[in-house]
Amino acid sequence: MANGITNINNMAPELPLQFSEDLLSTPMFNYAESHIGKTTRMSRYERLSTDGGQLDGSGIDPAPEVVVRSDIDATMEIYAKTVVINEQVTLYENDKVLTKFTALLGQWMREKEDLLMRDLYASSVSYINAVGGINGDQPSEISRNDINNIERILLGNDARTMLEGIDAMDKFGTAPTRDAFIALASTDITPDLQNVQGVLLKNAYPNQEGLRPEEYCSVSRFRFFVSSKAAKIPGASLQGRTVYTIPMYGLEAAAKIEQNNYSATLGYRPPYVVSSVAQNSQLYAKFAIARAITNQNWISGLNVTARL
Amino acid sequence: MAFTILDGGSFTSTGAGVKIPLPSSADYFKVWNTTQLAAAAPNAVVGAEWFGPKFGVGASAANSGIRWKKAGSSALVIDSFSTATASDGFTYVVTSPNVEPQAANAITAITAASPAVVSQTNTYSEGDFVRIYNTTGMLQIAGMVFQISTVSGSGYTLTGLRAAGFAAAATAGFTRRVSKNAAVDPEYLYITEITKATQAVVRTSVDPSNYYVVGNKIHFSVPPSFGMSEINQLTGTITAVSAANYTLTVDIDSSAFTTFAFPASTASPTAQLFATLSPAGSQTSFNPVSQVQTGYEFQKTPFHTGQFTPYMFLAGGADSPAGANADVINWMSYKLEV
Repeated sequence: MANGITNINNMAPELPLQFSEDLLSTPMFNYAESHIGKTTRMSRYERLSTDGGQLDGSGIDPAPEVVVRSDIDATMEIYAKTVVINEQVTLYENDKVLTKFTALLGQWMREKEDLLMRDLYASSVSYINAVGGINGDQPSEISRNDINNIERILLGNDARTMLEGIDAMDKFGTAPTRDAFIALASTDITPDLQNVQGVLLKNAYPNQEGLRPEEYCSVSRFRFFVSSKAAKIPGASLQGRTVYTIPMYGLEAAAKIEQNNYSATLGYRPPYVVSSVAQNSQLYAKFAIARAITNQNWISGLNVTARL
Repeated sequence: MAFTILDGGSFTSTGAGVKIPLPSSADYFKVWNTTQLAAAAPNAVVGAEWFGPKFGVGASAANSGIRWKKAGSSALVIDSFSTATASDGFTYVVTSPNVEPQAANAITAITAASPAVVSQTNTYSEGDFVRIYNTTGMLQIAGMVFQISTVSGSGYTLTGLRAAGFAAAATAGFTRRVSKNAAVDPEYLYITEITKATQAVVRTSVDPSNYYVVGNKIHFSVPPSFGMSEINQLTGTITAVSAANYTLTVDIDSSAFTTFAFPASTASPTAQLFATLSPAGSQTSFNPVSQVQTGYEFQKTPFHTGQFTPYMFLAGGADSPAGANADVINWMSYKLEV
């Protein structure tokens, strides 16, 4: 086999058949084919080398370059939660518990989904210890130099920002924000974020329209979002303190994939199904998710400790 | 009893700790060491029980539970794993763990040798993962996770750390046992060494074959403090994996790169740490003649949950629920209705 040719030897087929859902209109077997396996594959053709390429007029063709495809795979996983309610609750309580419990299950679904993505970022991304702080620990508390270092890494890897800039307005005490990457941090380090050089707290953005409640501040090219459930590792610093991991990323760095018709299932099982004497009913919530880091070049992050 | 759930099973102990997934969670857990039960006068735990939070003030503490032991005779001694003659017991884990609930443990020394050897009184098992921190000397490894081997009650070897080039040994420090699997796998790994070669050989602090196979791609994050800055932010494809040496070979020519080296201990805490690698997908190959596709493993390559929760961790050893090597253990889990 000739060298330099992109062929199925160096670019293996994903599956022995190719699914073309859009071209076939009605046959149902086609949909069944699309449900083979529980692994979702995302692929990217890596860009070609820019080395060489000049023709010297001799008639000799440049050597072909083998195209490289990177496959990013993720396993589809199903999560569920259930609540069983005795009939006496619904009989004696007047606050519409079934409706409220359904809302509670809906909240569980989104919270669980959030934690699953947090776990992905915490487990499968390379982090760099912050060293620009003054608490004497390794890692230190977060500093401007550490944040700038991550911006340098992302820009060096041609990452694209996630959020548009907010234009300056004629309002006292405000300043514009630049187009920004995203950073996810623990609420435990908000005092340290306030101390970072050049921090722009959320209230100082020129325009509050469309801002998320969880947004806390902007530093350099990053907008920081905080959560009480953000990732942390107890006792992992040089001095045995809790280490907080802060994923910092741009566009298409990670993926959260939902299964068709399975992204959020809420169900009710009536008492005559759940209980032999029809006294207990059941509510459940269920969803399927696959998660993956789709491009390590466009995600990085910091390990930090708290200053206090 | 519509919602009471019972589960059970059996395993043959290797002497190491065992994790038993409990999809329905548990309120009560029991094990019988059938091997030691049949022995006439063993000096070993023959049975154990654990009571969950549902039992309120009667619940078992972390790493404890009720211990049924034959202490060199046929008579049973029933006490708790956390008595004065303490041994490791049950630990019920409900969230993705970074640290397995076991007390911090003091190190007395880490040799500056290849591989490094740790002196520490411990109850760890072969292949356990520990995070080393608060070291005196060898500050450059404080915070890293290592897989341990050649474990005895007084120490173990860090196969993934070749510390002969370090300026001095560590004279103190602490460890905590951590989970072998992150919440999501494949996970990032700590790099301890990269050779200068046409195909760089990368040593990691734990056995990389648990997470990566030939054909997987890995992304390098190597801060300038580790020397080989040329490899920082590069992505390579794995061409070989060695479980014995904790190494991966990648298709990156590092022969002209700057030498990889840990920063000096004296440079901490201002030296940027750590050198790590992280999963960046896969690049499989296919032989159309043999119809063989290589470079992929469904159990490892796709991003997936690394550690199922909740689970019950049974500590290993003759005085613990998971028993000594070759012991046959029966277990039962109970989820109560009310």
